[in-house]
Amino acid sequence: MKKLKIFKQGILEELPLQLGVFPFGVIYGVMAIESGLTPMQAFLMSSIIFGGASQIAFVQLISNATPYGVIVTTVGAINSRHFLYSISMMEFLKNLSLKWRVILGYLLTDEAYAISIRRFINEPNTSFLHFHLLGTGITLFLSWQISTLTGVLLGGDLPQFLDLQFIIPLTFIAIIIPMIRSISTFLVVISSAFCGLIFKNLDISFWIIISGFIGVLVGIASNKLDKKR
Amino acid sequence: MTWSLIILCGIITFLMRFIPLSGIISRELSPSTKNSFKYIPLAVLTPIIVNDLSIVENNNLFLIENYKLYAGIIAIIVAFITNNILATISLGMASYLLMSNFINI
Repeated sequence: MKKLKIFKQGILEELPLQLGVFPFGVIYGVMAIESGLTPMQAFLMSSIIFGGASQIAFVQLISNATPYGVIVTTVGAINSRHFLYSISMMEFLKNLSLKWRVILGYLLTDEAYAISIRRFINEPNTSFLHFHLLGTGITLFLSWQISTLTGVLLGGDLPQFLDLQFIIPLTFIAIIIPMIRSISTFLVVISSAFCGLIFKNLDISFWIIISGFIGVLVGIASNKLDKKR
Repeated sequence: MTWSLIILCGIITFLMRFIPLSGIISRELSPSTKNSFKYIPLAVLTPIIVNDLSIVENNNLFLIENYKLYAGIIAIIVAFITNNILATISLGMASYLLMSNFINI
């Protein structure tokens, strides 16, 4: 029963992360209802998109009556990092059946990837490694669904003075700050912040995307500064 | 219409997670391309934060009575020191509530 053992290890290693995931899911649920989505839309988005930061961006943008093209592009841009995760998992999962690859691809989110990739890299020759990713992925999936549902049910019952809208930038700050680890990442943040402020107030509808694009270009251009250190 | 928007976003997100596993990409991406991907979440989320923290009226950037900006700066410091999502959100929120409810200039 080695499969079951590896699967359980995945679940156990993923559990501590739920301390951060669960409140995040509740916040998303509450925000989604406040943005005007129906409870069904709010809840099912968590399994259809299944990506925390992008879902919060989605509801934030839709509550500001943002054009749909901007919403789709923003969600795509935020989740584009999963493409990278998938590339780094390619080596370990390429011999699995199509069914397995579809399921694991669907479950490949930040928190599941972060835990499982360590195991994959440390013990690349262990058999049934994919059961580890299945364990971390399913744990995260269930926790995300339950926390979303909690938030959806709480919905408008939270007191108004709490001004929950403000939790969104706070959540993004909590996600972003640990990612700033070099000169180039710092410059990306400064430049995209500056562009965001300017383009938003020039009423350019694709302001997030344009600012993001400039930010990435600044990152690529300043990449060499990191290596010199 | 909202449903189709949600489903479209879902399909795009799934494809980005699945395409490398599908076997379509035979060639390795160049290291510089891979490297540039790491900037994307930073470059996209930062403008959203800045927009939420700033109040602009008649082309003037309001700084003095903008408690969200101060609370945001506190949250940035907390995030930098603790790396903890829960601590960042709760301390940022607490400082905002304190300032907006108890300071009357």
